[in-house]
Amino acid sequence: MSAASADTLAAGGRIRTAWTARSRQERLVYKLLLPVLGTVVVLATIPFVLAVIQSLTSDTRGFVGLDNYARALSNPLLYESIKQTALYGAIALPVEILGGLGIALLVHRTVRSSGLRAAIYVAAMIPIVIPQIAVGVVFRLVFAPDYGILNVMLGLTGPSQPLWLSVPQLALVATAAVDIWQWTPFVYLVMFAGLQTVPSESVEAAQVDGATNLTLFRFIELPYLRPLILLVLFFRIADVIRVFDQVYVLTGGGPGTTTQYLSLYIYRIGFKFSDLGQASALAVVVMVSMTLFYTVVSRFLPADRR
Amino acid sequence: MRSRRWTPSRVATTLLLALIGLLFAFPLFYLVATSLKTKADLFAPVPSLWPPNPTLEPYYDVLVTRGFSELLVNSIVVGLGATALAICIAFAICYPITRLPAPRRLRGFVLSWSLSLRFLPPVAVVIPYFAIVRAIGLYNQLPALILVYTIFNLPLAIWMLRGFLDEIPLEIEEAALVDGASRWYAFRHIVLPLARTAILAVGIIVFAFDWAEFLFAFILTATPQAMTFPVGVQGLVTQFEIIWNDMAAGGVIAILIPLTLMLIARRHVMTGLTFGVIREK
Repeated sequence: MSAASADTLAAGGRIRTAWTARSRQERLVYKLLLPVLGTVVVLATIPFVLAVIQSLTSDTRGFVGLDNYARALSNPLLYESIKQTALYGAIALPVEILGGLGIALLVHRTVRSSGLRAAIYVAAMIPIVIPQIAVGVVFRLVFAPDYGILNVMLGLTGPSQPLWLSVPQLALVATAAVDIWQWTPFVYLVMFAGLQTVPSESVEAAQVDGATNLTLFRFIELPYLRPLILLVLFFRIADVIRVFDQVYVLTGGGPGTTTQYLSLYIYRIGFKFSDLGQASALAVVVMVSMTLFYTVVSRFLPADRR
Repeated sequence: MRSRRWTPSRVATTLLLALIGLLFAFPLFYLVATSLKTKADLFAPVPSLWPPNPTLEPYYDVLVTRGFSELLVNSIVVGLGATALAICIAFAICYPITRLPAPRRLRGFVLSWSLSLRFLPPVAVVIPYFAIVRAIGLYNQLPALILVYTIFNLPLAIWMLRGFLDEIPLEIEEAALVDGASRWYAFRHIVLPLARTAILAVGIIVFAFDWAEFLFAFILTATPQAMTFPVGVQGLVTQFEIIWNDMAAGGVIAILIPLTLMLIARRHVMTGLTFGVIREK
């Protein structure tokens, strides 16, 4: 009996020490994490709070209620800008995703040498790491009249040459083409990496069963790629909302308002017209919308898989 | 299946891939070619693809005559400062959630919250930052940029670092703790040395992002005293009469630094860009 009780006691003691050790460690988590995390969350949240305050006030009249929101949301240029941003995305994103996916499949099926694959991997990374401002420089040299290489290559010089950056429809397509140039390789890299995760046994089994390239893609590979396609789509949508640098230096939002995408529009309201009240209202609307967008899509994102 | 024979379809796809590659590379080639042209070459009736008299003069013009070397130094100072800060903060946040028994919900919150920042467009954030920076007297000062860049690239640093720290087996640290080492000692002498590559990789990628940033610097600075290199390059593109070779040289310099860094850390670029979804083996 005494042996048994000693045993339970010892076990209890062990449990208790393990328990206190664990809770001590958990306390350590909070002690280490909370000061830093708190500061960072506050620093990252201040702008939002301040934007809300700015959006409800005016420099001259103090508190103005929802006045700034009313002006922001009744401005027809806002809807024009949203429309153009949507058009830009509607041109760029499908081409990037289908193009990137297509190239990934081509390379995956054709290129067998691992050295060549590595070379393509590094080459595809180049456009992605180029600063947006430098992308603007590159495409000035492509699209500019007289000095731009595109018209020179097409043999179109002189007074009747296409003005890629100053004709409304062309400017929209040209800026979208820049986006495609920079981000198709990114989609390629993601898709190619995804294709490498498809188990080769499934592929071989399908091939033994006589699957064509198309059925192989549709039924074996696509299921592995689907989450990646969604991920790319969400990230790219967030990127389209923030497009600024290269368009700013290529067209400045023009001609007219054709390439005045959402970020350029907010910039213009806030810093060209110095209407920080209206710009803050827009900023709040955009921040809230994007947070909602994130909440919806985060279920499809790789939150914490451990 | 894995034959190396050159079937017609294989030749066709190879040609297609080569063509696509050429299409992507050509604009960059023309950028470099233009950056090596002399002022006189710019007046050729039809611009040449190859610089007739290659020269480094435009680089000298940009860096010395136009004084962009000052902007270059600003960019490096801001980049190094913001990168160092972001890594320290990311470490302080990632250590408890990866090495200690942090509650799952806390860990989930940290990761999800930091990823959500990735979805905020900079232009929406810069408006309140502009007000703050002016109010505390940091307008046109490098510390303002360092602070803003630190916060903005912190999510990237946190996600990359937690991926690396997750890979260091907990047992190694626990073994030291059992042997009587303090947690600080175990961190200092076991985790930190093992995380050295991780710190380097995260640092390189965060620095490249800081280096490329334009909008914040454009709005929060006004004079060469605090302007960063991309802001200077912007001036070369938007001025009324563009000096093509100088503009191209500015572009090449702006590209060269992140490109070199990314080549060094090439195994980690995609991990960073996709917040850890794509991992290199």
